[in-house]
Amino acid sequence: MPMAKRMKRLAAAGVAFCACLAASGALAHPHVWVTVRSQVAFSPDGKVAAVAHDWVFDEMYSSFATQGLAKPGELVKRETFAPLAQENAAGLADIGYFTTLKIGGKAVDFGNVTEYWMEERPDHLVTFHVVLPLKTPAPPGKYFTLLVADPEYFIDFEFDDTDPIVLRSAPSGCSASIAKPKPLEDAEKQTLTESFFSGLAPGTNFGFKMASRVIVACP
Amino acid sequence: MNPTLRALPLRAVSSLALIASGAAPALAQLAQRPFSVGGGEGGGGASGGVTGWLLAEQSQLTHLIAAHVHALHGDPAAIWGLIGIGFAYGVFHAAGPGHGKAVIASYMMANDRALRRGVVLAFLAALLQGSVAVALVGIAALAFNATSSEMNRAADWLALASYAGIIAIGAWLCWTKGRALIKALRARFARRASIERGTLYQGAPWRAAANGNGKTAFRAAAPGSPDAVGEAAECGHSHALDPAALGEGFSWRGAAATVIAAGSRPCSGAILVLVFALAQGLFAAGVVATFAMSLGTALTTGALAWAAVFAKAVAMRLAAGDDSRVALAARGFEFAAALLVLAFGLALLLGAQGGA
Repeated sequence: MPMAKRMKRLAAAGVAFCACLAASGALAHPHVWVTVRSQVAFSPDGKVAAVAHDWVFDEMYSSFATQGLAKPGELVKRETFAPLAQENAAGLADIGYFTTLKIGGKAVDFGNVTEYWMEERPDHLVTFHVVLPLKTPAPPGKYFTLLVADPEYFIDFEFDDTDPIVLRSAPSGCSASIAKPKPLEDAEKQTLTESFFSGLAPGTNFGFKMASRVIVACP
Repeated sequence: MNPTLRALPLRAVSSLALIASGAAPALAQLAQRPFSVGGGEGGGGASGGVTGWLLAEQSQLTHLIAAHVHALHGDPAAIWGLIGIGFAYGVFHAAGPGHGKAVIASYMMANDRALRRGVVLAFLAALLQGSVAVALVGIAALAFNATSSEMNRAADWLALASYAGIIAIGAWLCWTKGRALIKALRARFARRASIERGTLYQGAPWRAAANGNGKTAFRAAAPGSPDAVGEAAECGHSHALDPAALGEGFSWRGAAATVIAAGSRPCSGAILVLVFALAQGLFAAGVVATFAMSLGTALTTGALAWAAVFAKAVAMRLAAGDDSRVALAARGFEFAAALLVLAFGLALLLGAQGGA
């Protein structure tokens, strides 16, 4: 066999093997599903002061979270959930609160989380409530965006269909709307396909690409 | 000598490095994240997917599992659907490094070429993983009514033990394969030196005289003996390589350690299904679904182990030429794979330590 051909085949074998391993890393998918209802709270002087989330978990994670916490037939109360709520709230900062609030294209910093709880609803789904205060309240500008997503895509966050966002004490004229994730463009699909075969990441934060955004306009 | 040929082991190493870089983002996980399940198996999704469709399909399977568990209340026949979906879930989901695929494949690459054994290892690791999940939820939740946090902590310990095991196996492989590589390098240089020295023997098959140990040169290589590959290659039988005849001996002890290290960390999906089934009063159905998932996982892992063995066999065949070069390529390949196992273990452990 000519050397060049031999080398080509060797390279092909290597690529095929890489693709197999890459596929194994690429097929990750969410394990936990969350329905999001968010509120944006404004301060009396019209600045964005805090984001409050109510996250409702899917029934599988809800079963997991409530396991061992209540007698059969009883709902898990906030007090009983306190340690788990505290555990989850404590980890939020490291992961960026699963929340990106951008004013004028710039992400704001959140301060310490002090208000949070978990409870089991009568339909047995678990809710996590958390208030994320902005480190420094900021004027809303012409518009700002709110994104709730897990960059690692272990958790799939979706805004609630009927009641995704509430603006509290917003300056008059502010309104909110939801932007669904853009379908992947051809170029992006191409990147994904290439990344599949090369085994290199198409760019981190894939979870963000799958997420809906809230857009709040304050003309 | 053709320079591209000389670069062959380098190519093997660089292709493995490529694999490692591809797996790296998926490995950087395991920190204790909010709302984690089973010690924090990350989605690992930062590396994306083939298409959004696949992701949607995966999510669909999880929801279908929940739906079938519900359906079992009224319709026992739903168990067949549950088994089928569990199996499909296992096939597709056999994804994260937590499932030990990368470890098994690398181990096979470093160590063994017998296809059937690779597949057996993959099955055993997947079955162990399912059993660990069943034992964890069965003992912790069913017997002791443990909470999710307590189960996460237990899973954390299992994960850490698993990573420590992977590191130990990687270190052991690096030690043995590193020595074999050095030996092959010496043999290679000795051969070149001897060619440069004299014209008389040029072109004659090289015998291991330059090895400095005349006794081993003509010893028949017993398959499975530690020196089998090197010797077999030196004896000039390497042109039509039988996958099983190549390579360092296969030890069941090493294989068992690999199965345990790769399979002792329970996966989030199985824990969720089991706890959910338990909450529905259908723990047995959860166990059935878990083992269906294990079988699916085993299929994917087995395919990967097969690919590893095959890739190496192809590489060795293509490297065929003079024997010391084949030996060197094989040793280089194996050492790189050994390094990879070690790197997997370290990356997993560091990732776990990061946030725990």
